Amino acid sequence: MAGILIHSAVEQGELRAEFWELVTVARQLAPSVGGGLRVALAGSQLGDALEQARRAGAAEVRVLEHAQLADPWPEGHFEALAALCGRLDPEVVLVPRTPLGAEVAARLAIRRGASLVHDVTHVQKGADGITATRPVFGGAVSATVQARRGPWVIVPRPHAFAAAAPADGEASPVVREAFAPATPPRTFCGARTRQGSSGAKDIEKARVLVSGGAGLGGPEPFRLLGEVAELLGGAVAASRVAVDAGWVPTSLQVGLTGRSVAPDLYLAVGISGATHHLAGCSSAQVIAVVNSDPAAPFFRLANYGVVGDWKEVIPAFRDALKEKLATSRVA
Amino acid sequence: MRAVVCLKQVVDPLTPATELALDRAAKKMKPAAAGPPVINGYDEQALEAALRLRESLGQLEIVALSLGERFHLDVMKRSLAVGADQLVLVQDPSLDTPDSHRVATALAAAIRKIGAVDLVLCGRQASDWDNAIVPLLLAELLGMPCLTLARRVSVQGARVEIDRVLPDGSQTMWSELPAVVTVTSELGALRMPTARARLATARIQPKLLTLADLGVAAAEPPQVEVRDLSIPVAGRECRFVEAADGAAAGRRLAEILMEAGVVRPEGAR
Repeated sequence: MAGILIHSAVEQGELRAEFWELVTVARQLAPSVGGGLRVALAGSQLGDALEQARRAGAAEVRVLEHAQLADPWPEGHFEALAALCGRLDPEVVLVPRTPLGAEVAARLAIRRGASLVHDVTHVQKGADGITATRPVFGGAVSATVQARRGPWVIVPRPHAFAAAAPADGEASPVVREAFAPATPPRTFCGARTRQGSSGAKDIEKARVLVSGGAGLGGPEPFRLLGEVAELLGGAVAASRVAVDAGWVPTSLQVGLTGRSVAPDLYLAVGISGATHHLAGCSSAQVIAVVNSDPAAPFFRLANYGVVGDWKEVIPAFRDALKEKLATSRVA
Repeated sequence: MRAVVCLKQVVDPLTPATELALDRAAKKMKPAAAGPPVINGYDEQALEAALRLRESLGQLEIVALSLGERFHLDVMKRSLAVGADQLVLVQDPSLDTPDSHRVATALAAAIRKIGAVDLVLCGRQASDWDNAIVPLLLAELLGMPCLTLARRVSVQGARVEIDRVLPDGSQTMWSELPAVVTVTSELGALRMPTARARLATARIQPKLLTLADLGVAAAEPPQVEVRDLSIPVAGRECRFVEAADGAAAGRRLAEILMEAGVVRPEGAR
């Protein structure tokens, strides 16, 4: 048992942003784990992602490329990774906290009898095994956990670690793996539906997010948030309440069970700031909150706060922005 | 056909952080002073999935199952008031733990004791530790396939089919029964019980089981131990925008964000 293995699934030839955060974690752990770093990339068409992953400074990149891995099919991705771990016997496996990654990590920990250390914001290895810090109770509480026995499967929290820079030197050699599950599959994938792709920007990439919640009362006000987002060159996001109510698609959800975001500006409108929402946006550079309830917990995390009715605040905010941005462009 | 819905009693996630209290010696949360615990939200949605399934199948026996150290009976009996046929509670001090193996082992033993279970429904994760591993462990221990993140659950013959939520949409997935299925919030909220159902269930007692009844041995040390819990202080100081009215505050916010360089003209291009 030795070494660190980073696992990442590739969709549409794109390497996930979290990959470089996992590289940071791997570099931090490398001196105490030993045995070097390997990368496993899984998907049906790795495309450009493979070339990028070869710059991570790993001893090699193992490629799990197969038509059956086109879907985010947890069982298939897990079986492919488990078979590889059977051959490589890594001491630490790092997996990104995506819906697919989190499940692959859990399944792998069960199969290997490994300790799963989930959602970590800080991690180190010493004589007593892995010690990590992680938020629990929706981020209201910080827990220090310890897993003495390896192997370990570690799932870092998105944005908790800085993205690593590509390594200098030669690109890592590539080793292709066969997809040979140990057991016949028991879960099966059918038709896939993509929603909200028409013009909706990826909220994880936007530098400015204008986010709406329960206080908006329905889908209609999101159009106003869209106007503000457009003026700021950003995108619209939402809280879980707005998504569960069907006002906006799931792809816009920020929070523990949605996306984790770290924009330059997060403008929250009509969101009280339940801990599971704050868990997804607390890494924003600047947070501005508009809420009619002065006791809303979100204000405790905000840089700027407006206590008021969004119906009055936001249209005036939009108009003032429009005016100021126009003037400064002329000047 | 019989379904078990696993319910976890948790500290209400809407409890303001200022009212949370820790027992640092025991490395546990104290019960919130502000109000009673709640059923984990995703588990409530799993119960709603079971109730909808009963409506579409015409017949389904629903057993609500929970483990814990101490139960708030009014909270747990809500499952009966909305339509669960039976409530089974396994009580033991060792079950108030974030140790997934301990919890999954006890759940699996209880499900075997209930017997002839075709479908196990769980919430996608618990709102306290968010590990999302217990349903997968449970499936492994029961030898069942596991489908996760369902926003819709249906049963046709011996097969369960779900719509699995993905970051950019959803995908249909299926497996043979018996199976474990986890449910996500997009499925929709648990229905409200009627006043009459609430009254009718007031007299129904849950079935209480101990670990000895289930043949579950004493706890082994967990693989992942909790060493410490602490409440971090919020790291920002909020500057409140003072203005005569909402519109003035909105204009002022735009000025402040531009002066601070947070909003720049090039951001608009």
